Amino acid sequence: MADLTDAERFADLVVEVGANVQEGQEVDILADLGTEEVVRAIAGAAYRRGARFVDVWWWDALLKRERLLHARADTLDYVPPELGARLLRLGEERGCRIWIIGNPQPHALDGVDPERAGRDLLPRLKESSEVVLARTTNWCIASWPTEGWARQVYPSLEPDEALERLRQELAHVSRLDEPDPAEAWRARVAELRSAAGRLTERAFDSLRFRGPGTDLSVGLFRSSGWHAGTLERIDGLESIVNIPTEEVFTTPDPARVEGTVRATKPLELAGSLIDGIAIRFEGGRAVEIDADSNVDVLRAVAAKDEGAARLGEVALVDGSGRIGALETVFWNTLLDENAASHIALGGSYEFVVEDEAERARANQSEIHVDFMIGSPEVDVDGLTGDGDIIPVLRGGAWQI
Amino acid sequence: MRDRTDDLVRLADLLVGFGANLQPGQIVGVNAYYDMADAARAVARAAYSRGARYVDVFWWDLLVKRARLELADADSLEFVPPWMGERLRWLSNEHAARVFLTGTDSTVFDGIDPSRMGRDLLPYLKEVPEIVNERTTNWTIGPCPNPRWAERVHPELPPDEALDKLWDEIVYVCRLDADDPVEAWRERMRAIVASAERLTERHFDAIHLRGPGTDLTVGLLASHRWLGADFTTVDGLTHYPNLPTEEIFTTPDPERVDGHVSATMPLEVYGSFMSGIRIEFEGGRATKVDAEEGGEALRSIVAKEGADRLGELALVDGEGRIGPLGTVFYETLLDENAASHIALGNAYTFPLEDEADRERANRSPVHVDFMIGSPEVDVDGLTRDGERVPVLRGGAWQI
Repeated sequence: MADLTDAERFADLVVEVGANVQEGQEVDILADLGTEEVVRAIAGAAYRRGARFVDVWWWDALLKRERLLHARADTLDYVPPELGARLLRLGEERGCRIWIIGNPQPHALDGVDPERAGRDLLPRLKESSEVVLARTTNWCIASWPTEGWARQVYPSLEPDEALERLRQELAHVSRLDEPDPAEAWRARVAELRSAAGRLTERAFDSLRFRGPGTDLSVGLFRSSGWHAGTLERIDGLESIVNIPTEEVFTTPDPARVEGTVRATKPLELAGSLIDGIAIRFEGGRAVEIDADSNVDVLRAVAAKDEGAARLGEVALVDGSGRIGALETVFWNTLLDENAASHIALGGSYEFVVEDEAERARANQSEIHVDFMIGSPEVDVDGLTGDGDIIPVLRGGAWQI
Repeated sequence: MRDRTDDLVRLADLLVGFGANLQPGQIVGVNAYYDMADAARAVARAAYSRGARYVDVFWWDLLVKRARLELADADSLEFVPPWMGERLRWLSNEHAARVFLTGTDSTVFDGIDPSRMGRDLLPYLKEVPEIVNERTTNWTIGPCPNPRWAERVHPELPPDEALDKLWDEIVYVCRLDADDPVEAWRERMRAIVASAERLTERHFDAIHLRGPGTDLTVGLLASHRWLGADFTTVDGLTHYPNLPTEEIFTTPDPERVDGHVSATMPLEVYGSFMSGIRIEFEGGRATKVDAEEGGEALRSIVAKEGADRLGELALVDGEGRIGPLGTVFYETLLDENAASHIALGNAYTFPLEDEADRERANRSPVHVDFMIGSPEVDVDGLTRDGERVPVLRGGAWQI
């Protein structure tokens, strides 16, 4: 396997193929402290493409820890207004957003009162969902290996070996081990879009997931199509918004979700690790939320607003993706959500819903929390309006 | 390398509790360079423990800036994202506290075209002097030892020893070696304020500096006062803008500066290194700007609006702890407190009592301090009657 030691190769992929940086653009990068090697390379690649300014918002989870440990409780909801204003202005300018996840301090919030942790969702901003929905930016989220993250993913390896293994696995799932990574991504995105096209044609009324601990029915809108790989800015500029990406997704009917679901992977949420999630839905609402660890953080987030306990996304991942095959838990939504089929509590991509009346019903929330519910043991069926049951995924393989 | 956790906690406490004088409920704007994560976290802890509402850290990475200077279109280099200025306006509107951590190695910019360097002054923002003059925020600037800076200051030592030595020096000049650093600073501040008051009472018409390569007369405005050590905000909060601080300063008459001056120390400004600076003034204007190193970068800064006239005159006596170390820190905060200095560019208006004098104070988007004092430089005050009064001789106050 190739490795990721060549930060510039990865930076080129993110800038040219992922975010698709344009000449004269402002480029905002949100990056964990500790990913400077790739962030500096991305800055260079963006300026080479003619970027007007590369603006890095460094994020330090240990700084957040100081706040959560020592700040007065009644201040924890405070978000500096300039953070949101900056994003909205970037959208008005049709700027570019890049998010580099390095997770260098996975235990930064250990020992923090979960109720306090649930009140400070930074660096998430409600404006980031606004600019995603308004489709005013071209953007890309990607991951870069750090020592702290590697220790979390491979606790049984020596730190050096763990970092090397994470480098190699990230290189593989990012397809940097291909002779032409850009071409490899174009080909993979074409495959994913073809699967999305077949699903859209079927126009299922709902999906059913059945497996260990899971028997869940998710209602779909008549007019919502399936999407994959790329998103278009309102003026048509395309970006591959996640590198890697393996999912096809749509926006479900937030009023028609019934049954129980058990997460098949742990979830990292605003710095807390949540394992063994089990949720029961009734009439679209999550009425019971359990987990083996940090359940209070998830409950606090699901209580954030009216839409936070309803679904905003359902996504299918087949077994030909590179992430699931590794069987690695990355403790990182970008990767883990592309390892398996998943659903998300909270805000939805309204723009995939064609019909205006249905779009008005798409779920709205300031949160968006993906968690994995798929595995080769979980069967996925599509139910038609006439009550026919069509197999969609069996053992991770497409049946349609 | 010794464990510096305790020093870091004491430094953060001094900056937050004494320097910025943080009040419960305040927002805190922090500026930190990329290598200063430990210090930024220590400052955040000190601030939250004192009841800060939110600590907003503005991180700055010189190597991302280097990528811009190397690769960006020349005509984009003066662009500043509007949010950066808006963030400062927000801090001003909120009457926030502000803490700046300094100490960098500008050799990361070696090889960059100086004329490009001069067009990108970030992280400096034109809003900084504006909100300083508004006196809405209580703020302080303090040094933050880090490996890169240490190697710059002590290149002759192995990296660990260089950092240890720099830490020892910072502990010394910040008086963190005192049982009670805050009390030690209160005492030193009293002495500085007393010198400033004695100078103000003299109502000099001009200050004359004379030494090797220097013969400069700096005119003063009639309503000038000398200030030192502490500032007071519009809300009446006392804060100490520089830690350490050893200077007393005033705002000169930008139209009455004549003669020539040689810098007594090298200078680092907006990332460019300059040494052997020599400037000639006529009628207040810098008419000839030379330097042995970095002359082009200096001239490109002086070419900015108002940057060819003086905005500050400051005197430092030999009692301070910085000058005697003989260390060049390549950091204005420390180096300017080692010796008497002048600044090209923007002036503080608050040392001037009279509104008409304030109108005459120099205005500029930049403010560049450089050191012109040493024990060999004599400083005299000139009265309106033409009388000459010794002010500093061999670094000792004569008044």
